[in-house]
Amino acid sequence: MPSDSFENKINELKEFPELVEKNYHIALSSMPDALSDKQLNDWFSNGLTIAKQDVRSWEASSRFFEVSPAVLKSMPYSYFEKWMECGLKLSTESPTLAGAYFEASPGTMNKLRSRHIESWALTGSKLHKGTWKSSTLACKFFTLSPVLLESLSFQQLEKFSEFLDALSIRSYDLASECLNFGQDIFPLLGEDKDSFLSLATALVETGWREIKSFFDSGAKALPRIAASERIRFLQLAESLVVNGASNIPGIMLDISQSLSELNEEKHTAVLGLSESLLTHDPMAMPDFIKSSVFVLNKLTINQFYKWYEEGVSILKQNRDAGLAFFKVESTHSEETIEILSSGIEFERIKTVMEMYCRGLAGAEIKLSIIDSLIEKNIGWVSAESATTEGSTVFVPSVVDKYSTKNENYNWFKVVSTHQVAHLEFGSFSFNFHRKSKAFEDLRTLLEDQRNQSLKDRNNENLENISKEIEGDSVHSIEKTWLTDMQRFFNLFDDRKLSLDIFTIVEDARLDARVQIEYPGIKTSYIQVQRDSCEDRPDIKELPAKEALIEFMLRLSLQQYEDISIPIKYKNEIKQIVQIIKQICGSDSIVEDAAEAAIRIYAIVSSIPNEAIPEEDWDDIGFDDDEDYVDSEEMEKLLQQMGMGMEMELNPEESEYESMQEVEYRGDFKPELAQLMTELRMQQQDGQGQSNGEPLTQDQLKELLENSAELDLQSMQGEIQESSGMFADNIIKEAGTNMPQSPENSQGSYVHVDEDGGELQSSEPQTFVYDEWDFRADDYKPRWCVVKQKMMPEGDQSYFNSILNEYSTLVTRIRRQFEMMVPEMFRKERKLSDGEDIDIDDVIENMIDIKAGSSPDEKFYWRRNKVQRDVAVAFLLDTSASTAEAIDEGKGKQDEWDAPEDPVEYMVWLRTRRGQQIKRSYKRIIDVEKESMVLLINALEAIGDVYGIYGFSGYGRENVEYYTIKDLQENFSEKVKKRIDRIAPLHATRMGPAIRHTAHKLDMVDAKTKILFLISDGRPQDRGYSREGVEKEYAVHDTKKALDEAKKLGINSFCLTVDKNGHDYLKTMTSDMGYEILDDINDLPERLLVLYRRLTM
Amino acid sequence: MTTQTLYKSYIIEEYELSEEPFYVPVSDEIELFEAAYREKLPLIFKGPTGCGKTRFVEYMSYRLGKALKEKTGKSSASGAVNLPLVTIACHEDLTSSDLVGRYLLEGDQTVWIDGPLTRAVKAGGICYLDEVVEARKDTTVLIHPLTDHRRMLPIEKRGELLEAADGFLLVLSYNPGYQSALKDLKHSTRQRFVSIEFDYPPLEIEANIIEHESGVEEQIAIQLAKLGQKVRNLKEHGLGEGASTRLLIYAGKLITSGISPRRACQVSVNWGITDDHSLQQGITEIIESIFE
Repeated sequence: MPSDSFENKINELKEFPELVEKNYHIALSSMPDALSDKQLNDWFSNGLTIAKQDVRSWEASSRFFEVSPAVLKSMPYSYFEKWMECGLKLSTESPTLAGAYFEASPGTMNKLRSRHIESWALTGSKLHKGTWKSSTLACKFFTLSPVLLESLSFQQLEKFSEFLDALSIRSYDLASECLNFGQDIFPLLGEDKDSFLSLATALVETGWREIKSFFDSGAKALPRIAASERIRFLQLAESLVVNGASNIPGIMLDISQSLSELNEEKHTAVLGLSESLLTHDPMAMPDFIKSSVFVLNKLTINQFYKWYEEGVSILKQNRDAGLAFFKVESTHSEETIEILSSGIEFERIKTVMEMYCRGLAGAEIKLSIIDSLIEKNIGWVSAESATTEGSTVFVPSVVDKYSTKNENYNWFKVVSTHQVAHLEFGSFSFNFHRKSKAFEDLRTLLEDQRNQSLKDRNNENLENISKEIEGDSVHSIEKTWLTDMQRFFNLFDDRKLSLDIFTIVEDARLDARVQIEYPGIKTSYIQVQRDSCEDRPDIKELPAKEALIEFMLRLSLQQYEDISIPIKYKNEIKQIVQIIKQICGSDSIVEDAAEAAIRIYAIVSSIPNEAIPEEDWDDIGFDDDEDYVDSEEMEKLLQQMGMGMEMELNPEESEYESMQEVEYRGDFKPELAQLMTELRMQQQDGQGQSNGEPLTQDQLKELLENSAELDLQSMQGEIQESSGMFADNIIKEAGTNMPQSPENSQGSYVHVDEDGGELQSSEPQTFVYDEWDFRADDYKPRWCVVKQKMMPEGDQSYFNSILNEYSTLVTRIRRQFEMMVPEMFRKERKLSDGEDIDIDDVIENMIDIKAGSSPDEKFYWRRNKVQRDVAVAFLLDTSASTAEAIDEGKGKQDEWDAPEDPVEYMVWLRTRRGQQIKRSYKRIIDVEKESMVLLINALEAIGDVYGIYGFSGYGRENVEYYTIKDLQENFSEKVKKRIDRIAPLHATRMGPAIRHTAHKLDMVDAKTKILFLISDGRPQDRGYSREGVEKEYAVHDTKKALDEAKKLGINSFCLTVDKNGHDYLKTMTSDMGYEILDDINDLPERLLVLYRRLTM
Repeated sequence: MTTQTLYKSYIIEEYELSEEPFYVPVSDEIELFEAAYREKLPLIFKGPTGCGKTRFVEYMSYRLGKALKEKTGKSSASGAVNLPLVTIACHEDLTSSDLVGRYLLEGDQTVWIDGPLTRAVKAGGICYLDEVVEARKDTTVLIHPLTDHRRMLPIEKRGELLEAADGFLLVLSYNPGYQSALKDLKHSTRQRFVSIEFDYPPLEIEANIIEHESGVEEQIAIQLAKLGQKVRNLKEHGLGEGASTRLLIYAGKLITSGISPRRACQVSVNWGITDDHSLQQGITEIIESIFE
């Protein structure tokens, strides 16, 4: 029991607010009984001492009493003493701090080993520097300790506090915020807290301002990375910091984003390589990781290693090249990927394959990727399988099924060949009445039977209900088909089953024919078939009907061994085998397949679709060579079919499911494809189509709803709606995809683009041109407006100053050009006067004289001056990018970061222009201008017709076209003045500018016409592509424009200073000439050399 | 001492084919030719290169010559009656004297030498002007009087007017494929002729021809003919001309001599018809599909 003095002391408590005493009493009652008086006394005295520290310390004391029992529970008394001691010490420093310490204690002590109490208190107190802010931080540290300790070890907590301490020197607020972040972030980190902390500490040294975003991005980035690799990720980031990289948080976010797109298994490899890349060049690492997503899409891990090694070796030789390599911004990098990759990309082989397909089919077949068919929304939905709709063969965009390029290529070829076979061997030219070669024709017979039975049933119905509508319903069994294919499928009750059978039979026929007709591809074909067999489901697991279908499919894939069949249906199967053999002849036609399908359907549909027990299976051999003859049974079955009776589903039967499709055969939709073909034909013939009236929307809808080729049920929304939508799209597709005759092409094209319509040229000096849309494979009519303007006049002295500057070059060039003149002479014979006589002609004359006939007196020859007849137009790119300083311009030419909004754009432009005023460096445009000066000087020496134009523009309605010297214009002071004013303007929409120039050249009468394009990068402009980002569009349009010029008899030549130009220039100029200048400063000289060469 | 002749040489008028040239008619061209010959109507053969125009003329000259001999019967032994074939390949510098004839110096004398056309006119043979668009325009005009009812050849330098012998027939060939605007026949020329269009024969016939000419197996001949068809499908895509039957026969001959089919087609067909790289690749794919 407490002693007297103790009583007195308690009284002392009364000096403080009531709460202290109250807390003491509450605590006392829950203190463990085991405590001695002495111990209690000490405890109390400590509390009292704390309370006495200063005016506000009673709060700490009250907190002390409050938490004591809880704290004591988690530790022996000896440590409790230490705890009190620390508290006391803290309270002498700052009672508030002590309060926070006490308050956090119960929570902390649960997680802390007792021996760490002291260090914990010390850690906290270290943060306290006596200022108000530091005290807040320290308090917060204590308060958050329990939370932090949930995820951190004590050592880590210490480290964290060291970090906070270091940071607090820079900013207390920041430190305090980081403390807050800490609670969120550490739980995410798992094992890698140490490295995170050391990274953070390292950052304090180099870039403490980024700390906050570092924590922020850390919280976002780390979860994206495989847990085991996070530590490496952080180490990488740390070494970047050490190497002085800036914007670490941004980089972290970026690369973690990239990594998150990769399979987690690949993180190890990528990060491992990144680590070793650090030893070569740390700065290449972020780009390497960013590219890895793209690269790994195309390469396997092993190939990826090789790509990396190649990159490293380049990096060693040339840092810039290496960096570009890892960014996949160099041709070499792409080539390396291409070489390493086993995948075949459609785009790369499109031309060759298209040629191949056209050759085989003998028709204007186009090749396209499947996605473009799905976009059209006309019934094809599967993005995986190759298919055709009658005029275009759709193939996957990338093939990477096998490990070698060769195998993939062969697969691709097999796929294309199979699709083309549909066209070549007439899958879609099915004619209901054409005679089959291999079978007796049953189609018409069957149709009559069905109509008859339908009529009978209808009549019954009519009698039962009423006779008023008799006329109508009889009508309804009249012609109900649009295509012969549809008419054929109308013969079957189960359309799905019949479609499956027909598909298999037809594919089998085509495969057989391909292999007969093209022995060269046979090996790959068989290989692909064999591989397809391996992916098939186990036949024994299928119910009977499906098993039979599966069996047929295997048969069609030429698997003749190891197929199990249900013993029960041995006879049926034998028949099927015979039927299929029948159609695999060298001259089988689609009607054979149709007849075969009828027979097989008759067999298969009568079989219940029930499971077959394991023991009822047997392997089958096919040794008999009997030919198929319709048996009596078959006739019976067919009769049944003719009746068109719906078969009831037994309870044991499962509903028929279509077979799993064979990948290389793709998606076969005979009804739709025939429909499309016929619609196109109709379109071609105009309204005067051969049989019947044009089809209506409703008919089309009906076809679509009935067809088994569309899986309408599985789609969202009403069947009615989606079939209506398909119908719309199909009609549109058949209409727009039509190659129209040139006479009526004007005005009848439909824009798919919503962005706007055709443009008109309303002002004088404006011209409208079409633009080529390579995806649509078609022009966008009247798409661009070219505004022709005269370049304003500037200062004439510019021209002369350039001539002075290059005076040595000027004289040399002039001499070279003057030397061109004698080369233009040619010997001409049979002239009445000339340099000398031609001995052959003289002899002939002598003979004539001797023979007494009058001689021809024209026997002179002369080196005649052949009129040099050259017209050349120089087209200068005056886009904004030509404002790049020559030395710094590298790599930036591709950037087109102009805002889309016109208003913003003007602001952006103004700021850009403002920057240019201050320039003291040479820009690309300056070199272009200088070249023009020298060129004019040289051209005037030989007297060729030439024009100089600059182009730029913003958007398709605003292609600016500046005349510096018109073709017909004579060189004058004005031209000199205009050159001075050539300045960088907006974007590079090359297509219309080229078209306009070609148009101008076309008006000039000259033997040789040349269009010389001088540019600094790829064509680009706002909306110069469908999505605004796709550079391909612009390149293709430019190519088309150059092709058009070629057709007008204009030779084009492109000269560019963009070092990355090889990739697109090759596409753009195809067989025309182009040249890339390594050094822009060579431009003037090179231009003249090229000019000489081109015009000789 | 005996001198041995190391070469064969024929006098134009006496040259006739000793063996029947191999020719498989595609449609009614034989009847047309015979009718035109009877009625003395000149002919133009239009068609792509290597499709058998020249071979057809040879064949017809043999066939008609044989018929002539049979008709005249006994005189055949003497060789006096036959149907010579005079072929003239036209080129840019072909002048009228190259066709009609010229005076030559012989010692102190000048001697008139008949040109090939004159000789054919005199002998009453078939004169075949190959690739006539290549000839200069003033040369083509020269044949005008020969082609209408007059059937006369003016020999300006001698001041003569030569009447064509009975059997004379003028046949031109030209290939509309590569005609440029500059090289087209004048209408006044074209409208003096009966035109027979030639094209590559259908698959079976072409295979038959290839088999016969090159001596390859039937199977390969069919494949070659198929290749020809497939390649011709590409004509609109940058090929100036499709693969000619002649090229296919070359390929066949190479195969007969032991070159592998793929290689043979590559060198004779593929590289023969185009220099365009992607086109070549496309054709290579077709070749590789057709031949093992």
